[in-house]
Amino acid sequence: MVNKQEKVSAVFAALADPTRRRIVQRLSQQGERRVTALAKPFRISLPAISRHLRVLENARLITRQRHGREHLIRSDTAGLEDARKWIAQCAAGWESGFDTLDQLLKTAQQSLGKPSLNNNLNNNKEKKP
Amino acid sequence: MKSEVKVGDNRLQITRVFDAPRHLVFAFWKEVDRLQQWWGCKDTSKVECAMDFRVGGFFTCVMQITGAGEFSYKGQYDEIVEPEKIAYHADFPGVTTRVVVEFIELHQGQGAQTKMILTQVGFPGQSICEMVSKGTSESFDKLDSLLAKQVVVNHV
Repeated sequence: MVNKQEKVSAVFAALADPTRRRIVQRLSQQGERRVTALAKPFRISLPAISRHLRVLENARLITRQRHGREHLIRSDTAGLEDARKWIAQCAAGWESGFDTLDQLLKTAQQSLGKPSLNNNLNNNKEKKP
Repeated sequence: MKSEVKVGDNRLQITRVFDAPRHLVFAFWKEVDRLQQWWGCKDTSKVECAMDFRVGGFFTCVMQITGAGEFSYKGQYDEIVEPEKIAYHADFPGVTTRVVVEFIELHQGQGAQTKMILTQVGFPGQSICEMVSKGTSESFDKLDSLLAKQVVVNHV
């Protein structure tokens, strides 16, 4: 789970940058692109683009195919899938916590007969508007 | 009783009705001894929390998760309206996840019921939101139904 969280963090961190977001968006719209073609609309150096691409590659948001000196970049859904699974796990996690909470609330109310707890709860009780 | 789970573009909303008065449900978020009893997923064997329950205060929960080791979660309270609402955020690299928990009184007194709505937003902000809405919303629908099944299974 910790490992998964690291993966998801990598996806989030990669997408936190506007340039990297635009790269991913362009790739998902236009398919495969050469690194030089990708770099064109951005007014930044090729090495800077390469750094962005490495971040995206580590987050599994893009894949790279090497043809000699030419690198072809395309979008990869694995990173987004990680993020989605994480959201699902969050939901399942909350849900199982709430099951426990449900039981605890029942138990807490059964012990309401005890005067101390009862007083305490009555004091906290809100008045009806 | 099971929760209603909605998975949106970049948000998760879980609604659940508890057969308990609102101040009691709230207390399970407010008091560290009570929070530790339910926080974490079903594989969590031990939870240790430290919390400063006030606006701007921090909380840290360290969970021992069977088969996965230690997992820690740190957040800061943004809003506390007792016993109606708690809002906090937790930072992960590159993203801030915000959680809002609302407590709504359905019935008071005998047979008291409280509706709790938990909304978690800011999974990777706009970015994923946009990409997910393009062409992958189908898998979200699938996920939604998977979750629904999972929730049912959990309660059988």
